[in-house]
Amino acid sequence: MEVKTGKNISIKIDRKKFSVPDGITVLEAARLKNIYIPTLCWLENLVPYGGCRLCIVEIKNMRGYPIACTTPVVNKMEVTTNSTGLKTLRREILELILSEHPYTCLVCKDKNDCTEYMHTTRKVSTTTGCNYCANNGDCELQDLVDYLEISDVKYPVTYRGIEPERNNPFYDLDYNLCILCGRCVRICSEERNSEVLAFTQRGDATIVGTAFGESQIEAGCEFCGACIDVCPTGSISEKMGKWVGLPDKSTETTCLFCSVGCTINVNSKGNRIINVGPKTGKRINPPQICVRGKFVPGDIVHHPDRVLNPLIRKGDKWIEASWKEAISFTAGNLKQYVGDKFGMIGSPHDYLEDNYILQKFTRKVMRSNNLDMLSAYPNSKILEQIHKYNNTFPPIELDSIKDTDTILIIGSNGSVSHPIIENRIRKAYRNGTKIIFANPYDNRTSSFSHNALIFKNGEELLLLHTLLSVLLRNKNGEETKNLKLQLQELDFNSACNQLGISASQVNSAVNLISDSKKLLILAGDGILRGSNCIDSFNALYNLQLLQKNPDNCRIMFLLSEGNYYGGTFTGLNPGLLPGFARIDNKKNLKKWSDHLKIKLNNTPGLSRNEMINNIGKDGIESLFVFGDIPGNPDLSGLKFFVQQNMFLTGISKYAHVFFPTTSFLETRGHIINIERKIKKTKQVIKAPGETRTPWKTLSLLAQAMPDEGFKIRNPEDIFKELQSQTDLSFSSNNKLGKTCLPVKLMPFKKGKKHTKKEGLEYNYFHYSGNDLSTLIDDIKKIKKG
Amino acid sequence: MDVKIANTTQSILNKFPQKDKSNLIQILQAVQEKDSFLSPEAIGRISEHLRVSRSYIFGVATFYSQFKFNPPGRHSIRICLGTACHVQGGDFLLNAIKSELDISTGETTEDGKFDLDRVACLGCCALAPVVKIDNTIHSRMSVIKLKEILDGYE
Ligand code: SF4
Ligand code: SF4
Ligand code: SF4
Ligand code: FES
Ligand code: FES
Repeated sequence: MEVKTGKNISIKIDRKKFSVPDGITVLEAARLKNIYIPTLCWLENLVPYGGCRLCIVEIKNMRGYPIACTTPVVNKMEVTTNSTGLKTLRREILELILSEHPYTCLVCKDKNDCTEYMHTTRKVSTTTGCNYCANNGDCELQDLVDYLEISDVKYPVTYRGIEPERNNPFYDLDYNLCILCGRCVRICSEERNSEVLAFTQRGDATIVGTAFGESQIEAGCEFCGACIDVCPTGSISEKMGKWVGLPDKSTETTCLFCSVGCTINVNSKGNRIINVGPKTGKRINPPQICVRGKFVPGDIVHHPDRVLNPLIRKGDKWIEASWKEAISFTAGNLKQYVGDKFGMIGSPHDYLEDNYILQKFTRKVMRSNNLDMLSAYPNSKILEQIHKYNNTFPPIELDSIKDTDTILIIGSNGSVSHPIIENRIRKAYRNGTKIIFANPYDNRTSSFSHNALIFKNGEELLLLHTLLSVLLRNKNGEETKNLKLQLQELDFNSACNQLGISASQVNSAVNLISDSKKLLILAGDGILRGSNCIDSFNALYNLQLLQKNPDNCRIMFLLSEGNYYGGTFTGLNPGLLPGFARIDNKKNLKKWSDHLKIKLNNTPGLSRNEMINNIGKDGIESLFVFGDIPGNPDLSGLKFFVQQNMFLTGISKYAHVFFPTTSFLETRGHIINIERKIKKTKQVIKAPGETRTPWKTLSLLAQAMPDEGFKIRNPEDIFKELQSQTDLSFSSNNKLGKTCLPVKLMPFKKGKKHTKKEGLEYNYFHYSGNDLSTLIDDIKKIKKG
Repeated sequence: MDVKIANTTQSILNKFPQKDKSNLIQILQAVQEKDSFLSPEAIGRISEHLRVSRSYIFGVATFYSQFKFNPPGRHSIRICLGTACHVQGGDFLLNAIKSELDISTGETTEDGKFDLDRVACLGCCALAPVVKIDNTIHSRMSVIKLKEILDGYE
């Protein structure tokens, strides 16, 4: 809890004098001074609930036994945290709690031997604990029993006989073990604003549950897993790693699935990932994460279908090969396709290091500019604009989203695409921030908005122009003259009509925007993947410039994959060299020709779609793809196709060689996240089998071609090269000006039905193009749900 | 969704335009008054209106014994569990009838014939154990007698 006055007061804890900040609770004061008070329902970052009463203390001049977690300190307070009386009472309380909880595992006299030798595992049935509790060894009840030295419980065990629930994706529920501490209920509503769980029924029958006992999916669970992490018992347990025991290693690294790039803690044992969650003994993972970060890493890394050896095609069969064989086979073939016949498609889930080498290999060894990414944006110019924007304004941090006064979120399905951004939007909403939600269809975000503008599909640009033209009505300065002129043809009423939104709704949105002192605009795939993306970008930028204080306003571009922006930054783009340097610019061309010691071609190469659509003679004859291309395009016209991936996929049938690759948890590198932070990642486990990183494959290939300049020892070497050649501090002069960008009105698409859901049907559940819902059953379940 | 329930719920919600969740109990009472129970559909509509989850509403509603979550059956069975009836085997009756009808207290049989609940003292302790079906009191009940009586209901 935050300190309210900033003043310090003086209190005594266990007869010792301390100075502590005013406004905190007795428990916080004690923790601050390293004095232990047992707790069960209390948890950092959650509003104190005062349910378990284990934290009782004695306070001079206060009757009874106040609870430390809800009692605020006052000046001159004298607190006793430990006395015989307190210990007896606490034991009593814990015994009562335990009488509702299968406690054999806690007080059994064989407890110690049992954990070590497991010779009594069959003593009790599954649901009464012992070694059959999934939380064994990481249970707060076990810790408390030890602390209070309880060796027997005088109450009979009342087994509640609740059927365990095993049909939910990702986690199982066994409320027989629940001690009603309410942590799961509170984290789900306070921290996640999902409100899936509630205490239902009353008295003895009280239980955590959903409305009418519906399933977690029906109740709107977002499978963030926060409730699993906070539960002090084994009532909520992750299916994966359930019986594996305690981790022997915890590694803090970065999630790569979306551009938020959350910090995740990965627990592992040996070379196996147990789960993503708090370290042993910890219950909370303050930077919250989402379903992909929480559950996908272990499932894909240890997926049974993973390919662990290089494969070479012999007719319609795959033959396992050594790296040496596969490399020399590939190098020999690739030599025939040097030049424009060759194309390279990389993954937005690979590191800066990998993608830098991808482009270097393609440009230097293969002499081709045909470079792009899987899931490339239809118009990659939008990335250049975003980069300019990033050079113009300092980034906004995730944690300051809740401090803005108004948020306009447009064209985004945030609770699926960027759940942690959504998490901050919900917090902002609770914090009093005004939220304008603009989207062609309703989704979960709209219930956290004050104004929901549901406009006709495909009309985001018209909406932005309409907002602009209303905003411009009472602006008369020189700076806006041009913009006004460009928008003068826009007739407000016909625009509203075309958008399908009432005039009053548009006006109230404009009022919110113009009253704002700190506006945040969040632009999702509806904008970024739309065919008008550049015009929409200009309109959004103008919206920012029309603010009273544009420097207080920010636009956050919700790029989808973890390192899409980073990949473009490394030059994995047909028209851009590393650092967003345009290839058709003489200076850039010279600099990079010198650096790579070759003569670079100044014509931009083909984009992802152009490559795929131009396979054959006079087009692309050889392709190298890292990952899978969704949609299973026909690649049968390729003469030589190399795929490097974790799995054999639909396009593998066209491949001549297949290299097994590492996942982001089996190597290390950097990404650039949505906050424009360069985030370093750590290697969690060793790469299994014969898998290699993309950069390693290409450096081996280059040396076999042979080509100089690819004798790379480690990813640090690559990062240093990238750092020395580009401006990773975003301070370059490649900036946007402070004058409004041109906008152009589109004619109304009269009577035309908008059927195409531009940018809206994007599959966020993929990893390097591999569809997670075909790889992981539980992902399929939640996608349907 | 049941159109009738949706309409009554909506007309009640229209009286609470402020969408303030402190009105929840009042709304639930009004809905129960009209529909005689709280249906999943009604709770769903209230949830959209107040922007709180169905789980939250269900949690609040189940905390109060006044709320019912099943439509009433054509006949209501009330088993007395007051002290006298309890001593005379009221809970035994209750358990037998629960398994006979395959429902718990507060529920309604699938064919909509009976709903079942427990009550505390019906004021005729001398005749314990007592069961009330609709408005008729049946005294000195046994499991066999009760089953026979139930068979007579349509
Ligand atoms: S997984 Fe997340 S959304 Fe689902 S119940 Fe747990 S905390 Fe709530
Ligand atoms: S399920 Fe776990 S976290 Fe939730 S109330 Fe029960 S013991 Fe507490
Ligand atoms: S929000 Fe994005 S970065 Fe964070 S855990 Fe989810 S997918 Fe990973
Ligand atoms: S920790 Fe204070 S009451 Fe539970
Ligand atoms: S106890 Fe049943 S009627 Fe009084």
